[in-house]
Amino acid sequence: MPWIKEDRFYLAVLLLLVLIMAARTPLDSDMWWHLRAGEETLLNKEVYSEDTFSFTRDGDPWLNHSWLSQVIMYLLYSAGSYKALTIWVGVCALASIGLVYFQMEGHRIIRMMTGVLAGIVASVVWSPRPQIMSLVLFAVVSYLIYLYKWKKTNRLWLLPLIFILWSNLHGGYVLGIILTGVVMGGEIFNKLQVDNKPEYLSWKEIKVLGIWIMVCLLAVLINPFGFGMWKIPFNTIGVESLQNLISEWASPDFHQFYQQPMLWMLFGVMAAIGLSKRRIDGSDLASLIVFGWGALIARRNFGPFALVTAPILTRHLAPVLEEFKTVIEVKFSSVRGLFSSISESNQKIKPGSRYAINFILLVLLSVTAIWKIYDVSSPSFVEQNERTEFPVDAVEKLKGASETGLIFNEYNWGGYLIWNLRDFKIFVDGRTDLFGDEIIGEWVEIINAEENWQKKLDLWEIDYVLIRPDRPLALAAAETWKTLINSEELILLERKE
Amino acid sequence: MKNQTKSPCIAAFLMPRIGEILFIAIFIALIGLGPKLMNVDGDLGRHITLGNHIITSRSIPTRDVFSHTKLGDPLTPHEWLADVIFALAHRAAGLDGIVWVTALIIGAAFWLVYKQSLDLSSMSLLALAGTILAAAAASLHWLSRPHIFTILFTVIWITELEKLRIGIRKNWLIFPVIMLIWVNTHGAFIAGILIWACYIAGLILDQKFSWPEIKTYLWIGLSSLLVSLINPDGFGIWKTGFGFLGNRYLVSHTAEYLPPDFHQISTWPFLLLIVLSIGLLAISKRRMNASHALLLSGWTAMALYSARNIPLYAVIVAPILVTVGADYLQANKSKGATDKFIDLQSRFMDIEKSLKSGLWSGLVVVAAGLLLMRGFTLDFQNKGNQFLDNVFPVQAVDWIEENQLQGEGFNYFPWGGYLLYRTWPEMLVFIDGQTDFYGEELTRKYEKVITLSPGWEDVLQKYQVSWVLMPTQSELIQHLQEIGDWNAVYQDQISTIMVLGSGE
Repeated sequence: MPWIKEDRFYLAVLLLLVLIMAARTPLDSDMWWHLRAGEETLLNKEVYSEDTFSFTRDGDPWLNHSWLSQVIMYLLYSAGSYKALTIWVGVCALASIGLVYFQMEGHRIIRMMTGVLAGIVASVVWSPRPQIMSLVLFAVVSYLIYLYKWKKTNRLWLLPLIFILWSNLHGGYVLGIILTGVVMGGEIFNKLQVDNKPEYLSWKEIKVLGIWIMVCLLAVLINPFGFGMWKIPFNTIGVESLQNLISEWASPDFHQFYQQPMLWMLFGVMAAIGLSKRRIDGSDLASLIVFGWGALIARRNFGPFALVTAPILTRHLAPVLEEFKTVIEVKFSSVRGLFSSISESNQKIKPGSRYAINFILLVLLSVTAIWKIYDVSSPSFVEQNERTEFPVDAVEKLKGASETGLIFNEYNWGGYLIWNLRDFKIFVDGRTDLFGDEIIGEWVEIINAEENWQKKLDLWEIDYVLIRPDRPLALAAAETWKTLINSEELILLERKE
Repeated sequence: MKNQTKSPCIAAFLMPRIGEILFIAIFIALIGLGPKLMNVDGDLGRHITLGNHIITSRSIPTRDVFSHTKLGDPLTPHEWLADVIFALAHRAAGLDGIVWVTALIIGAAFWLVYKQSLDLSSMSLLALAGTILAAAAASLHWLSRPHIFTILFTVIWITELEKLRIGIRKNWLIFPVIMLIWVNTHGAFIAGILIWACYIAGLILDQKFSWPEIKTYLWIGLSSLLVSLINPDGFGIWKTGFGFLGNRYLVSHTAEYLPPDFHQISTWPFLLLIVLSIGLLAISKRRMNASHALLLSGWTAMALYSARNIPLYAVIVAPILVTVGADYLQANKSKGATDKFIDLQSRFMDIEKSLKSGLWSGLVVVAAGLLLMRGFTLDFQNKGNQFLDNVFPVQAVDWIEENQLQGEGFNYFPWGGYLLYRTWPEMLVFIDGQTDFYGEELTRKYEKVITLSPGWEDVLQKYQVSWVLMPTQSELIQHLQEIGDWNAVYQDQISTIMVLGSGE
């Protein structure tokens, strides 16, 4: 193809497929409070770092590690509403998978298919949240390490700049540090092996990598919270309710079809390593173990797992398939005939026709991607989805009923209420690190109508209860509280005078 | 000289081998954990009751006799032989007998895992470590239920296939025999077919096959498939198995079919095995044979899909990992630490080879059986092997027996088996743990009642339910106590019995 090389054609197909997959209605329970925090930062010209959204943590300091992402999200939303957020998620997904494509080996079709699989696995975390920035930067760091190790091209000086940006965009910077550390560990393991392959780093190169990790650890301190940024990973992991209540922190549930691709990928990589004559590299081994372990502990780690596993899978799958093809050709002559006839018929297609077919395919995929972005972010489509996932009716009712008030709310609706009810304050939202086990534990006790639930609501002087109708509290409070709305999706109760 | 040759002979019979020590350790541990084996899950009662019914009536029921909701409906008794074994053990020594059988079966299974690992690797210490890790991973599903037979048959099946692969076994006749017993003991006999598929696919991928070899494997598959139809329900056993596994609602509502939760410490040995698999694949200098690669990756995926597959994964994968580990050590024996380990290992093997014992395991098994039959409590907490009153509605059922409660009831699903154990045939249950029989429709109705979803009262009316036995803290009991039509006739901290009307 004169205007695009064949390799780039497959990359383009992959990226368009990823864009089609990633184009989704930008609705996430956490998106709303991120937007509001971004708005507050811009309005006050100061990083939003003291809670004003909830009454349970009102005035408490909050280490807002995603402040820069929030500002970007708010600016995008202001400029292009939901469409801009959809495009932003799509571009981030596309960038991360694109960088992985360049790290893969083998035939371009294998690379493209593996890229699609990696995209499907990572798609679990493609949502309009700062987390998506971590995915992109993780892919960037892994690409720089790939260049350093496999291509002997040193661009590691870019790492500190990336980590400065990362520590202001999202607390997930620690994933980059882990990846770099894991590769270093893997390379030390390689050095302990008898053989010495060209891709193994020398001791000097390992030392250089170690020094850059130290520099990066210092670089992450360049943010409004200084040393506080180092505490982020420990703060987050330390919250027990995070693991018990929030689905993305739970172990994967492979009975859910959308989570199964991770299992296929793990199965594929283990089978490929087992069947391949090529021995796995130490860095690949360490990355696979650490990020595989992470993905099995919490499904939010599917993204990094997919990005590190895809290149490893192709490094082993390619020789296995090649060997398998040879076996079939040798043992089964009729299949060999089939292979050659396919190859011959391919050659018979005139180059011009092939270019035309490829061009039409790219145009079709591009049109599909644009149409999907437009469709899923259209106001009517967004509103329709908003109504099924969030308490739209209750917000309208509350706006009419009062100017202000304290709401005991459903956990996943906190962000939506923060965005839509500016003068109300809520009990809890997705900022688990701010609320901690103390507040979330109390929230669980109240919503399950455990002992003294009424006393606790009184103590906080709560005006409204807005929860799902299947919660035990909905049944328990039905008689003592005034029902404003009771539908299949939600129940809104008001304190009786 | 005579004395010098005689004394090692006596020692050879008195000294236990490593495998024997391992068996005894697992057996004693399980005897000590007896109450846990029967109190985590509520199905044991059903199995004992069905086994007793088969022995007494000398017939295997193919229609339901236990519930008033599906009485007379076609039933696939896919565990009848295991139920008979449990019932015989129960007749001999009560619940102690059940624990003894469970300990024996699981102990034997892991002794076989050790033996297979040793045969493949010739490294007893490595085989021991691998088996201990496998036992730790599998222990999360060690319960007194028919699936323990599947753990044992899986090990036997794979051991025989392995013998065939390396050329020790030449004929295939043992396989249909194993399958015949397996298919009548537990529904997961399908695991054997999957393992066989991995071996035949591996053979083809490794390109080392000849047509006679392929034919042998095909005969194994064909004969096993045909033999699997020799059971009380014929082809129905396959239909029931796939029908249940294909039903997303039922599978997702059965706790043991859910994927492992790695936030629970009990799953960590399994996670460690996965990490170890990847690590060993990486460091191995030789390419793994394709059958092993397929077994390893396939069963990892299956165990991640359903926690109940973890014990099968553990017994299948442990010998493979031990073999890969041993290969690695042999390939690196020139290195200091490896060399020392191999030296130590060969000294152990020399001692092992000189030992002839089997005495101690036999003694321990017999002694434990006799002590239990004599009424000694051997469990670690000294509670005795019984259904615990903080898990099952023990006192509530005492009350039911004393007061001869009449009419059809609605019971808590996990207590169905216990109710049958105590009250059948006088009383029939609404539902019990045999989800594959009760099906989606009745399970949904049960769920509707316990969650008080719209129409819950209609379900109780339809089945003419006049009493309810549920946990005291359940939403249903709380609600029935608030409305006027139902009265609590018995209540303790665990369970409450509510009857419709005055209860007189």
